[in-house]
Amino acid sequence: MNIAARPRRTLVGAGIAVALIIPALLSPFDQDEAALAAITAMLVVSVVVLSGYVGQISFCQFSFAAIGAFTTGALVDGQGWSFWLAMPVGVVAAAAVGVLVGIPALRLTGLLLSVLTVAVALFFDRFVLATDTLPAFSGGSLQWHPHKPSLFGVQLTGEYGFYLFTFAMFLLVVLLVWNLRSGKAGRVLRAVRDSELAAATMGLNVTAWKLAAFGLSAGIAGLAGCLLAVANESVSAGSYDFLHSVQLLAIATVWGVGVLTAAALGGAFFVYGPELLAKTPLSAKWFSLILGAVLVAQLVYSPDGIIPKVAEDIRHALHRRRGDASMPPADAPVVEVA
Amino acid sequence: MALLTVDRVSKRFGGVFALQDVSFEVREGEIAGLIGPNGAGKTTMFNIVSGVFDPDDGTVRYGDHDLHGMRPHRRARMGIARTFQNLQLFGRMTVLENLMVPVDAASQRGMLADALRLPVARFEEHRAEERARAMLHFLGLSDVADSVAGALSVGIQRRVELARALCLRPRLLLLDEPAAGLDVRETADLAATLVRVRDRFDLTMLLVDHDMALVMRTCEHIYVLDFGRVIAEGPPEQIRQDPSVIAAYLGEAAA
Repeated sequence: MNIAARPRRTLVGAGIAVALIIPALLSPFDQDEAALAAITAMLVVSVVVLSGYVGQISFCQFSFAAIGAFTTGALVDGQGWSFWLAMPVGVVAAAAVGVLVGIPALRLTGLLLSVLTVAVALFFDRFVLATDTLPAFSGGSLQWHPHKPSLFGVQLTGEYGFYLFTFAMFLLVVLLVWNLRSGKAGRVLRAVRDSELAAATMGLNVTAWKLAAFGLSAGIAGLAGCLLAVANESVSAGSYDFLHSVQLLAIATVWGVGVLTAAALGGAFFVYGPELLAKTPLSAKWFSLILGAVLVAQLVYSPDGIIPKVAEDIRHALHRRRGDASMPPADAPVVEVA
Repeated sequence: MALLTVDRVSKRFGGVFALQDVSFEVREGEIAGLIGPNGAGKTTMFNIVSGVFDPDDGTVRYGDHDLHGMRPHRRARMGIARTFQNLQLFGRMTVLENLMVPVDAASQRGMLADALRLPVARFEEHRAEERARAMLHFLGLSDVADSVAGALSVGIQRRVELARALCLRPRLLLLDEPAAGLDVRETADLAATLVRVRDRFDLTMLLVDHDMALVMRTCEHIYVLDFGRVIAEGPPEQIRQDPSVIAAYLGEAAA
């Protein structure tokens, strides 16, 4: 039920080549945007881990990212730390908060879990990141301005160079998550998603695994936040608000919340979508509306998301050509796609 | 020696007794049966033994351990495995993956080993797959190894659930209505399989069913539940002739 390994490897290779070459030809402004796309893609990965693999919903991924970003800001700009030391602190802090959010989430699913995560997001928006609550963390009325780091003596200040760095980080995260998914953790998390009862009676500590998933997802979002802080060289609460988290979830859902490929495309879509719209007679303001319309259409026609749907169609077309009658019917559940 | 001892267990749901003062024991190595009409409390008993919830009164002992308050996954790791009346396979995973989950659960490795593809991860992955495939082979399921579990017929799914439970390497296997939804021939197959499984894996089984055919065929000792109480116990021949059983149970089937 998997796309054959070789075409998939070719596709992934081609995708990486495109992602390396195209931005090199773009203007410095669009190269900056490309770095943002890679970072956003990492945020989509964090959604894939939590929603796609374990079936939990989170409307506060940008709050986890904010922890990474503000930790980076406070330590690099405020305390003069090296970015390379601040980054792991930001990731661990975000993961820890993720686990904390996961504790009440253990007893909740669906609507109630959504409400909980909305509450967390608003708590961050309105309280934690408000200028006068924790100035040592939020930077107060002066925002943090962490500088881009240097890597092995090379300053990552050039637009394309910094893009390469973020893209490499994205690939690294995807590789680690992909390995997790194809091993024990992936099976265990999907087992918990399909039947918590059976998972527990097969000897799995469902509680611990759900918390681990929240921690992992929040940690990835936190890493994205650390990168976002230095990509923008400024950290402001407005970039991490609740509405961003909603859009992120919508984009992950549209492309396919269970598949990692969705992340790469989702990230590019999130960043370049509004920009491309701005070049048409419409304006970037239409992006949310169009995203919403696409989401509704996709939920009606292909609930698993665009990428699983396309992969499924291709697979069927291939099998039909080979005259293979042993294919399962189109409505059979899809196991995994990419 | 008794492997499972249920001692004066009661469980109420909103004031109604699902189980009332139920006592029985399952001896090491035997296939015991728990029968009774629908609503007699059989599945409630299973949920109590496997740790889905605890009884209001009474104790459940497994060997020398009091199971009270112990969570399901701890009980599973001590060797108590179960299947479900309403199938609980991991529906969107393949059959092979379903069977690998209990092997995964027994492994100590954390996420890091998998994320970095450490040798231990590869080794254990390989071992889990081999163990799962061997079990599929033993139960004649090799053909469906790569099928999506949720898309299979009920008969096959029941067999997969049995295989998955066995991958836990249990000492005590609880089977909740394993013949439900099976036809006469499939039920006969299942009876033969269960005896074969018990002999091969040297385990103890407790079987719940309201279908007498399977229980009479496989069980060595039978407890009859009715309205939350044990009303009779003994070997199959004796149960078949027990007047209170006939009244409570067989009478219902005859009517």
